[in-house]
Amino acid sequence: MKSVTHSMPEGHVRRSGAGRRLLSAYRTEIAIALAIIVIELAVGMIVPAALSGGNISNVTQAAAPLVIMAFGVLLVIITGGIDLSVGSVFSLTGMVTGLAMAHGYGGIASSMAGLSVGILIGALNGALVTFVGLAPFVVTLSTYAIAGSLSFIVTDGHSLPISNPDYWLLNSGTLIPGLPNYALWCVLLLVAIEFSLRKVVAGRWLYAIGSSSSSARVIGIPVNRVRLAAYLLSGLFASFASIVSVSYISNAEATAGSSLMLQAIAAVVIGGASLFGGTGSAIGALLGALMITIIQNGANLIGVNSFWQGTVTGVVILIAVLVDRVTKARR
Amino acid sequence: MEKRASTSGSRFSDRPVAQVIAASVLAFAAAFASQASVAGDKQTVAYIAPSLDISYWQWVAYGVKQRAQELGMNYVEFTSENSPAKQMDNVRTALTRGVTAIVMGPVSSTSTPPVLRLLKEKSVPVAFTGIGPQAGQTDYTSAVTANNYDTGKAEGAYVCKLAKDRGSNKVAMLSLPQDRENAQKYMKGAQESFKSDGCDLVQVLETHGLTVNEAVQQANDVLTAHPDVKGIYGMYDEAATGAAKALQTRGSVGKVAVVTADGSPTTIKLLRDGQIQGIFLQEAVGQGIDATTQVFNALNHKPTTQELALKEPLVTKDTIDQPEAQATVKRVYPPSAGQY
Repeated sequence: MKSVTHSMPEGHVRRSGAGRRLLSAYRTEIAIALAIIVIELAVGMIVPAALSGGNISNVTQAAAPLVIMAFGVLLVIITGGIDLSVGSVFSLTGMVTGLAMAHGYGGIASSMAGLSVGILIGALNGALVTFVGLAPFVVTLSTYAIAGSLSFIVTDGHSLPISNPDYWLLNSGTLIPGLPNYALWCVLLLVAIEFSLRKVVAGRWLYAIGSSSSSARVIGIPVNRVRLAAYLLSGLFASFASIVSVSYISNAEATAGSSLMLQAIAAVVIGGASLFGGTGSAIGALLGALMITIIQNGANLIGVNSFWQGTVTGVVILIAVLVDRVTKARR
Repeated sequence: MEKRASTSGSRFSDRPVAQVIAASVLAFAAAFASQASVAGDKQTVAYIAPSLDISYWQWVAYGVKQRAQELGMNYVEFTSENSPAKQMDNVRTALTRGVTAIVMGPVSSTSTPPVLRLLKEKSVPVAFTGIGPQAGQTDYTSAVTANNYDTGKAEGAYVCKLAKDRGSNKVAMLSLPQDRENAQKYMKGAQESFKSDGCDLVQVLETHGLTVNEAVQQANDVLTAHPDVKGIYGMYDEAATGAAKALQTRGSVGKVAVVTADGSPTTIKLLRDGQIQGIFLQEAVGQGIDATTQVFNALNHKPTTQELALKEPLVTKDTIDQPEAQATVKRVYPPSAGQY
């Protein structure tokens, strides 16, 4: 085996080594991708339409907001933190965006107003966690409650139809022919985050802080600033996920994000991140979000009783995490 | 004596915190006394909602408040956050505050017996809205509910007809959680109509979060699994909004009929735009108005009606602007919710 490797041309060896490193680095993600394919094929055997282009398009469109939100949650989880406020930020962003449109502001200005919700709450979370030293769970639980409550207060609880006739383009338009915008946002964020996490120094700092914040501080990493940035981006992505969703359904609701927070955390964990910090990838978060959406889609297509759908989702998540833990332990 | 008084006075003036506390206590006592005297002078109705994160219960609240003002009653509001324990706490708190009548959207029918026992002891009239008391309970003034069974039947017949008009007898349903009594009644009525009218209910999907986003996904899934479905029965407002959005994305508006219960500014706009074909209006505001009238009558020894099951009339694109339909819509949601 050794002699074969030596006898290969240098470029081939380099490529083979890089491929092996890639396989090793993304072992969890590859396993999840395979699991998704197996699940989809299994559903397709029962309901062939599950494999149709139309259904795959539906699933990706439905998954897009969760994917975007999961990217933000991932950054916080890598640092060893948690952001429970994202669901409420999602709801409040939708209401603020809808309210701005109802007051005659255009799509861009309304979106900016919506995004500012995430930036503000993300910055507040980050500041309280880093500079005041409060526990992330407590801080983000508080902002979850506050933002959730404000979602009702801003419109007295009424849902808001989106009046701007062109706003749907943000989700379903096509800036690049053949690639709907909801997919484009996911791909752009995926590439940017994955590249940053792997190749940019600031991205590597996130892992260092998640592995040991005290060691990170000793070697000169600006721990507080990096953590603050992670929470800020988490809020911003939750807001962006919300406006992508609102532009799709043309409606803003105060309860829109209520189930998304747990799903986003689950997506990140399914994708191989540890809640103790130090691990995780954007590809994993994307695949985790896709898996959750595909399970829900499959359960609906097959006609699984609604009461059982939560059990099915929970069991699959548990299996995914257990398999990941076992394979990591073997390594 | 003079010295002592002077010392005491100077000590008090030297302690601003003590002054603030004393002033606060006085202000609180004054406010409490004025509140108590208002409550003493006027009858007070408490509205206890199961939760206020759903528009429906907010609209009932509006009806209770509006009617209470018309009748010269004070109004207070509590939310039980879907907890029977919190509901019981709210009832006790309301009694402590001296309310003279209660309008309640109970967390569930089964949560009502202990509430009714307590209110009977205190001789406080209670009217239920939306969800009635547990079967067998009689110690209440009125239960103002929607006639879910008859509506389920009528909506089922209408959806079946529209599906057949579009060339198929296959229909699907986006349902409220079937652990709710009103959902079960809608379902029973609908199933009877589908059976008698020859329609095949191919899939029922229940909501978890009552959101439009969820309904869009569910409608897409139903139409993917059963492309021959030509009618969607929505049991709640967001279901119709979601189904209409799914059909719009698929370019199938009008090819699959969408009908729903409830009604809101959003679905009424969709009705006018031809994206949904019918709404069976549930009078949320009307339930609040009628329930308040019932407890007021009980307090003032006037006749009351114990079972008041309000009809849910059908409105279509052709009838929505007729005066009768507009009068009903005004009993569905308040002006602040949106246009009629």
